[in-house]
Amino acid sequence: MSALTLRAVSKRYGTVIACDGVDLDIDPGEIHGLLGENGAGKSTLMRILFGLETRDAGTVLRDGEPVRIAGPQDAAALGLGMVHQHFSLIDPLPVWENIILGDTGRIRRAAARAEILAIARRYGLPIDPLAIVGTLSAGERQRVELIKCLRRDPGVLILDEPTSVLTRAESAELFAVLRRVVRSERRAVVLISHKLAEITAATDRVTVLRRGRVVFRSATRDTDVVELARQMVGRDVSLGAEAAALGLLPTGPGTVPDVARQPAMRLRGLVVRPFLNGVDLDVRPGEITGLYGAEGNGQTVLGDVLSGLVVPDTGIVELGGVPVALKRPGALHRAGLGIVPEDRHRAGVVLDLSVAANLVMKDPVVNRRRLRRTAERLAEEFGIVGASLDAPLRTLSGGNQQRVVLARELSAHTKVLVVAQPSHGLDVGAAEDLYARLRSCARDGVAVLLISTEIEEVLGLTDRIAVIASGRIAGELRTADATTERLGLLVGGVAR
Amino acid sequence: MIRTVAALVVALALSSLLITVTGGSPPAALQALVRGSLGDATAVSLTLLYAAPLLLIAVGACVSARAGVFNIGQEGQVLIGALAGAAVGLRLAVPGPALVVVVLLASALAAGLWAWLSSLMHRLRGVDIVVSTLLMAFLAQQVVAFAVNTPWLLQESRLGRATVLPQTNKLPADALLGSIGHYPGLQINAGLLIAAVPAILVAVVLARTRWGFRITMLGLNPLAAQHSGVRVGALSGVALAISGALAGLAGAVLLTSPLSTNRLQPGTSLGIGWDGLLVALVARNRPLLAIPVAGLFAVLRSGGSFLAATGVPSYLVDVVKALLVLAFVAPPALKRWSSA
Repeated sequence: MSALTLRAVSKRYGTVIACDGVDLDIDPGEIHGLLGENGAGKSTLMRILFGLETRDAGTVLRDGEPVRIAGPQDAAALGLGMVHQHFSLIDPLPVWENIILGDTGRIRRAAARAEILAIARRYGLPIDPLAIVGTLSAGERQRVELIKCLRRDPGVLILDEPTSVLTRAESAELFAVLRRVVRSERRAVVLISHKLAEITAATDRVTVLRRGRVVFRSATRDTDVVELARQMVGRDVSLGAEAAALGLLPTGPGTVPDVARQPAMRLRGLVVRPFLNGVDLDVRPGEITGLYGAEGNGQTVLGDVLSGLVVPDTGIVELGGVPVALKRPGALHRAGLGIVPEDRHRAGVVLDLSVAANLVMKDPVVNRRRLRRTAERLAEEFGIVGASLDAPLRTLSGGNQQRVVLARELSAHTKVLVVAQPSHGLDVGAAEDLYARLRSCARDGVAVLLISTEIEEVLGLTDRIAVIASGRIAGELRTADATTERLGLLVGGVAR
Repeated sequence: MIRTVAALVVALALSSLLITVTGGSPPAALQALVRGSLGDATAVSLTLLYAAPLLLIAVGACVSARAGVFNIGQEGQVLIGALAGAAVGLRLAVPGPALVVVVLLASALAAGLWAWLSSLMHRLRGVDIVVSTLLMAFLAQQVVAFAVNTPWLLQESRLGRATVLPQTNKLPADALLGSIGHYPGLQINAGLLIAAVPAILVAVVLARTRWGFRITMLGLNPLAAQHSGVRVGALSGVALAISGALAGLAGAVLLTSPLSTNRLQPGTSLGIGWDGLLVALVARNRPLLAIPVAGLFAVLRSGGSFLAATGVPSYLVDVVKALLVLAFVAPPALKRWSSA
């Protein structure tokens, strides 16, 4: 009998059909992959399962019994556990408090700690219960979320895009844990993802959703990435530009960089204690330079420095041979640096301002007619699709929001474009579009710096790769010479 | 919108119930309220007098709130403004009607600086602005009380053997705001003009200028503002100072208009600092919307004292005011809560 069954579940928002008669069987002892592009209905389905949305039609059965789920409490009572795409942890609190959050009764610190350590040992999820969550890396936070979930002993464990912020090694570790959960304890796991490599590597069965419908289901071993990609996108996928987005290994970079050209941006001895310990990096025009490394090795802070949010303790940023006065607000932007930050919602956009306002945020245009014209031009050029340019930015999809940032940052005088973790939360189509734009940007002579934790992305897009480890550049090589192994060694800080 | 109307209906129903329960009759109370505030030219004059400082404070609160800085210490800023105005008006020998201008400027400047101190504390030591502006209000009350109780500061001069009260001397006529225009029975104090100009100006500046855009961006996402080249600390300090300056101006209007005895007293502010904050709250930080809302609160104030004379307990007016505020503020909050 299936642990969890969905029968003809439908949900519509106005005229948009998010789920259209979805049937799904999740068996105990299996990892079930749920694959689909952004907007395919995966998240809606899961929100229905957790009682965050009410379904318009259909039934949900748990161990064969029809159930009513009116809220997350009901879901928890039925043994459904969820690890969300965006962490729901409270940064200033220690791990153990985050984990017992929502419990009732007396707080027993020692007992909670012991329990956490026991779970950590059982599943191989090493964590310090007393550590403050805010100081943990993304991988460690994921572990905390997972422990929090497993502690409630769920029969069905649902993970929504769990690896979007994890490195390869961390992802592998996560899947090993999931494998253990499934094999030895007969729990059911649903893995929601749009990464093909992950689905084929980690799941037993796979269901593909497209525009709210189940379009394909198969045992994972009976299918392959090409088939899955076709089912997900609904057409044949050329494994070139899209390869990285799909998590496939790329065919390799095309052009050989001209190293002799003067760097458009030079970072020299950037120090932000304790995150950056002297970063030296050159980014040349007409070239995509990759900055690869495991999450939490200083990339985020480097992004903040280049966004003007953090002033480094020491070190200089040179653009076009001129050092930038980093203390002066907006100096980097004026010097020709554009940046698409890692977390766009944090500093990249103002969600409650209009799309048009966000497009001109850095050089505010006050005249309404001019604003309108500029916004319309950029929207057209960058393919920004939304209800209206006057609607708040939050009404746009993730991919379109990113296009807004890119459109703004790629103005005529942009000489250096920094793009951090660009494919986070993007579906194949949007990522593909972005990659094409980055390439054409580089062809037009812009120096592009791609900060990424996705090895496929870095290998597929860049001309040169610098590896960052513990806040330093551990090594730099031409992409043509790079292999997963060599990069892996550099990431681990092993060899040059 | 529907929610707001529904909430208003609930608030009015509750108010009627309260009046009935306390032995009054709602229609009679409403009639008294309207008669006392809009019934005749004198009543309207009084209402307009109240509207001016309320509007000034509300517009200031809009500026800081839009910049994401929550100033709730207007009551204190009103007092500091009035104190500075009184000091200048009484001590500075500026000839002729220029004196009132100097008084107004001094009030705005002093209260702006006073409010800006909270921003400074925030930047230097991370003191929470909501807390510090509020506490500074109580400090301001003490400062004013000290000033009007200390003979060598601002306490009124002793004339013969008369007892001196905790208040300053009466401001000279040149330091007072007169009426504008001549209408039979109706008096429109210049304070209203002083309040209307900033309201319109602030609305235009916020909506149509780069500076206004930066303020809005700062309020909605300070990190994005910083990323876009806004000096976050400085700009929020300026917003707070403007907010304080407008509250100080309200203090000067209170002091120099017929609302007061034209002497600084510990109670000169009439608690209008708190009311002005409520006006901004109800107007959802929109300066133009604050104009009618300030009018409504002025009606409640002038009508409220008349209502008290008819036997309805005067605190009921405060309760009604609170219910109204809740009616306007609750629906959007509930909406956010239900969609979260």
